[in-house]
Amino acid sequence: MFQSTELNRRNHSVQKLVSILFGVVTCLLIVPVLTIMTVLVYKGGPNISFEFLFSAPTNGMTAGGIFPALLGTILLVVVALIFSVPLGVATAVYLSEYASDTWLTRLINLAIINLAGVPSIVHALFGLGAFVIFAGFGTSILAASLTLGIMTLPVVIVATRESLQAVPPEFRMACWGMGATRWQTIRKVVLPNAMSGILTGVILEVSRTAGETAPIMFTGAAFFLPFLPQGILDQTMAMSLHLFVVSTQVPGVPETLPYSVALVLVSLVLIMNAASIILRAYVRGQKKW
Amino acid sequence: MKKRTRIKLKRNVVFLSHRLYFLSQSDSTHLNVNRTGRKMGNRALLALVFLLGCGGNSDREFIQNKGSDTLVNVAQAWAENYVSVDSTVAVAVTGGGSGTGISAMINGTVDIANSSRAMRGEEIEAARANGVDPIEHTVGFDALAIFLHPDNPLRSISFAQLGSIYGDGGNVDSWSQLGIEMPGCSSGEIVRVSRQNNSGTYAYFQEAVLGEGKDFGLGSRDMNGSSEVVDLVASTPCGIGYSGLAYATEEVFMPCVTVDEGSDCVFPSVETAIDGSYPISRPLFMYTAGQPEGQVGAYLDWILGEMGQCILFGKGYAPVTSVVCS
Repeated sequence: MFQSTELNRRNHSVQKLVSILFGVVTCLLIVPVLTIMTVLVYKGGPNISFEFLFSAPTNGMTAGGIFPALLGTILLVVVALIFSVPLGVATAVYLSEYASDTWLTRLINLAIINLAGVPSIVHALFGLGAFVIFAGFGTSILAASLTLGIMTLPVVIVATRESLQAVPPEFRMACWGMGATRWQTIRKVVLPNAMSGILTGVILEVSRTAGETAPIMFTGAAFFLPFLPQGILDQTMAMSLHLFVVSTQVPGVPETLPYSVALVLVSLVLIMNAASIILRAYVRGQKKW
Repeated sequence: MKKRTRIKLKRNVVFLSHRLYFLSQSDSTHLNVNRTGRKMGNRALLALVFLLGCGGNSDREFIQNKGSDTLVNVAQAWAENYVSVDSTVAVAVTGGGSGTGISAMINGTVDIANSSRAMRGEEIEAARANGVDPIEHTVGFDALAIFLHPDNPLRSISFAQLGSIYGDGGNVDSWSQLGIEMPGCSSGEIVRVSRQNNSGTYAYFQEAVLGEGKDFGLGSRDMNGSSEVVDLVASTPCGIGYSGLAYATEEVFMPCVTVDEGSDCVFPSVETAIDGSYPISRPLFMYTAGQPEGQVGAYLDWILGEMGQCILFGKGYAPVTSVVCS
């Protein structure tokens, strides 16, 4: 028969207290998100209409819509993904599946970690020097997307490598035991099983790419463009820079406009994320373990 | 020059993407692979080909216009209105400050750099060293207004007072030293609102008001844009700020300015900037790489013409030529 002592009871109540306290702290995390969304929807929501989304800004950017910026951000994200996802996944596959632990791979790992720590403004200046001036792309979607791609590369690499390593080694061994080559194993067993983790990396990348302002300011985003970009060697407007511009640079902007722009930007990221989350859920459903 | 490199680049990119596409076609014949996966891969490649293929495909000529935050809203209005004049030209406007525009001119990445101060000798030399010969065009004049909170009873301010408020070693840091009682400002301390140091407005204020070689005192709030200065002063009873007249709103008061004791006190306005009686009025510049030709030349001619100057006037700046605007 177990009789609880004074000490048992005290430990129990301390444990309860800590769990409640930490729970409350965790819940506090929701407060900023809810506040931001509430303010954005309350102040910017009424202004959003089909016309706002699909027309160009007019009257010195104090009226009209945001279509050029919306399209620009989507283009920037898509082109950045086209460059960084294959490159990032290939790097992660090499590091996780092929490379042995040598000074070279350790150096590469160190480089990736450091790349993740480089401030975005430094990436911006790198992009300006490397893509805009040296490579001769000019200020263009291509230069901006490459800059964004390089900046978000570590996110994709780290997420992919971790999800590759989460695939049980027995899977690979079983496959090798059937006489498959390393590549066949990766292609047929490892990558399909790691897909949900890779998609998580892509989701994170999309959110970061769409919101960044500094890297695109020097490399491809314009304050104002009278036309939509015709190709990836043209400049573009972008949501994040447009938000900065209408909230600080233009006099006489109606008070609700910056909120509406912010709301659309946040929603755009959420929609892109939702698409990847659905895809990830689908891929996860296909898993056999 | 610029157009040619673009076309060449485009050709290379298209060539590369075609090769990629054919590679993916040919290896599917002798590899036994998952059909749907391959199909998706092809689709992605096609999308890539499409994206790259249409790069630089436009018949439209781009004019890159970058620089001064003071000029950026006029530049934007010019770009917006120029569409109706010549729809084959797209003017891409970017802000960032006069310094940003001038360094872009030195690097050769813009066609027109906007600046609210003249290029310095060493900047012109740096540009020439890069094979760029910057040509200066005055496109308008701007009165630099002093902004006060509307409750501030101060009605006039002199260069000497501004110097002792903003200048390095200046001894005025409370409103009572100027002989006024500021309601709503309990500390009585003057909150100095200034601009970031690559701003042409910052450089011009330093040169014209503080005097050549004098520095700003530490401890001012340095804003990244003129409209931020106005917004902050409008909401800060203790505040004082300066910026282009065009950024003034109903929520701030602009005192008249005297050069020294005894001279006339002049309120900032487009008229006093045009007739030169307002003491802090400055020319606004656009720099081109070499004498403007072709589309850039046509754009500048239009800016200096009646329509362009009336747009500038409508934004609160003084035109360079006398124009009659409706």
